[in-house]
Amino acid sequence: MVPSAATPSLSLPPAQFASLQPHAYLLAHLSPPALSNQPSIRANGRSPSQFRATSANAGSLTHANGSAVVRLGDTAAVCGVRAEILHTDDIASWSVSSSTGAGNKRRKLSGEDPEDPEESQIQDLNLLVPNLSLSTGCAPGFIPGAPPSALAQSLSHQLLTLLHTSRLVRTDDLRIWYDVPDLEGAGQETGEAMDVDVVDKESSLKQPRKREIKAFWVLYIDVMIVSLAGNVLDAAWAAVLAALRDTKLPRAWWDVDAESVLCSNRVDEARSLLLRGLPVCSSFCVFEADAAAGWRAVVLPTSIEMEQNKQQQRWILADPDGYEEGLTQERMCIVLDKDQSGNPVIVRMEKNGGWTVGKEDLRQLVDVSAQRWEEMKTVLKW
Amino acid sequence: MTDRRRINGPPSGTRPPVFAAGADRPAVRPVRQRQPTELRKLFLKTGLIPSASGSAYLEFEPSASLAAARATPTSLIPPSSALKLTCTVHGPKPLPRSAAYSPNLVLTTHVKYAPFAARQRKGHIRDASERDLGVHLETALRGAIIAERWPKSALEITVTILEAEDDRWYGDAPDAHDASWGMMNVLAGCITAASAAIADARIDCLDLVAGGVAAMVYAEEEEEKGGEEPRGRKLMLDTDPAEHRSIGSACVVAYMPARDEITELWLKGDSGGSHEGLIDGAVDAARGAHGVLAEAVREGLSVTN
Repeated sequence: MVPSAATPSLSLPPAQFASLQPHAYLLAHLSPPALSNQPSIRANGRSPSQFRATSANAGSLTHANGSAVVRLGDTAAVCGVRAEILHTDDIASWSVSSSTGAGNKRRKLSGEDPEDPEESQIQDLNLLVPNLSLSTGCAPGFIPGAPPSALAQSLSHQLLTLLHTSRLVRTDDLRIWYDVPDLEGAGQETGEAMDVDVVDKESSLKQPRKREIKAFWVLYIDVMIVSLAGNVLDAAWAAVLAALRDTKLPRAWWDVDAESVLCSNRVDEARSLLLRGLPVCSSFCVFEADAAAGWRAVVLPTSIEMEQNKQQQRWILADPDGYEEGLTQERMCIVLDKDQSGNPVIVRMEKNGGWTVGKEDLRQLVDVSAQRWEEMKTVLKW
Repeated sequence: MTDRRRINGPPSGTRPPVFAAGADRPAVRPVRQRQPTELRKLFLKTGLIPSASGSAYLEFEPSASLAAARATPTSLIPPSSALKLTCTVHGPKPLPRSAAYSPNLVLTTHVKYAPFAARQRKGHIRDASERDLGVHLETALRGAIIAERWPKSALEITVTILEAEDDRWYGDAPDAHDASWGMMNVLAGCITAASAAIADARIDCLDLVAGGVAAMVYAEEEEEKGGEEPRGRKLMLDTDPAEHRSIGSACVVAYMPARDEITELWLKGDSGGSHEGLIDGAVDAARGAHGVLAEAVREGLSVTN
């Protein structure tokens, strides 16, 4: 075997080395030799806090009320929002008092809305139905036609809780009202005019016409992950945001004769959803030089005591791709919004799978997420 | 029974919105602007999904009415729709140990509509028509792939339909001439896209197999007279079902021009003895699609090299 002897010992092409020794490969990229003046850079050429190029395109699907395609590097998510009608007659636990109670207190929505007492209706009545599908052939591991994988199920639930906790959609946008004609009131006034005192009359005049909730819009938010290359949650959430922003609900009214809700197909009468803010989701993962060091320190506290002082080598990587996700345990996800004066507001923070990230790191990550928020604002044309 | 692995909506179910008939603006059926033998333009691109061995995205050009409706939206109801689908190929990969020995490549095809693909919301679980499409697609591709070159291997083809074709114009009530005509266009699109994705995955094939649709369409005026003998039938290539009042019969072929071979033929409706012409028309449509297909595959190869 003369020819093979002639070749140098380390002649593996990078792609093969990456698949044979993924951990060492990424570590070598992140910790270049001190002599060479190379910066610490990830195997995909990004700096640790750099996100992938993101693009969003809304309103390209014909049959959806709102739709968006978001590409985050090689990850692509298509989201379609379909609105259907839930009649209050069909709700088992619906009572008349709940249908009229909110109506009297309803005020004009201008800027900051007054706190809606019935805001929890979205959650109670399941008015937002997000589902994420990975069985689109997006990656080899997911069998099409099989029930949703554990990952898909957990992502669907993450989207649902994020929709609920961020209170993105206003319940009032989803209500279909019916102005009850004031026939009974008129009859009462003439009949009881004699013995009704003035105060009662005044209150009935002041009170606006009686309104009643007859139905709700239910938004089916379906996310199809067309291509999977890591960080699905960020891509899916961005797609949901863009699609909800694109969503137009037709004008709907209660038709007494048909005893059902009818809609108008005129575009000029349709209205968009008034979303509360722009909660942007940014995910991070932690790559450790020695993944077992932390655990070893617990199991054998004395032997590693010396090394405890030395900072454990680890890198926090923003927007991990599929390759990096496979090498890391610890994940963080920060959902952040900014109020009108530009101060970041943390909507949700999630950290799991490890213990290397502390308070200081999280503070830095919030800053990174705040920068990401600005990026996403321009991407989504908010 | 509720599906506990997905997020279900309200337990009592929901109703799709019903639109009130607008008296001021009556809905008009879209009219076909193309010549009978003129095909819709199609957009085909390979290699969009890096984690798959091969992939393709296909989109039909929106019809004139749909393009107009998009440019100046007046109604929330789209007049017609344009097919959009993605196709991925995974493999060839080894068969699982438990599987029986197979001297040939084992081909599996899955076709799934996205829930927002059609006018009616689609379920998450594959229904009969989706399984039907999968079987048709499999036969179309099986004739093109040289399967004996990969013994003991599997090839998985998944098509996700993001936007489907309509079966009829939305304003029409279902009638006697009704069938799922839109499905045939979808199948033709699936065949063309899958063929591009297979070429992108570098699977050996006899030729690129392209799908084409032709239909016998009753002329409008004949229909008005209510004549018992439908003499006003016309052959149209690449029909958009929304543009025609009634379609007599339609045919999809999967066709390989190099060998002049049809690998899949699906004829539906009453062709009235003129099925030869119908098949020839579908083959012509497939030839047209093949030109785009070959160009897209060539383009995909030049990008990677």
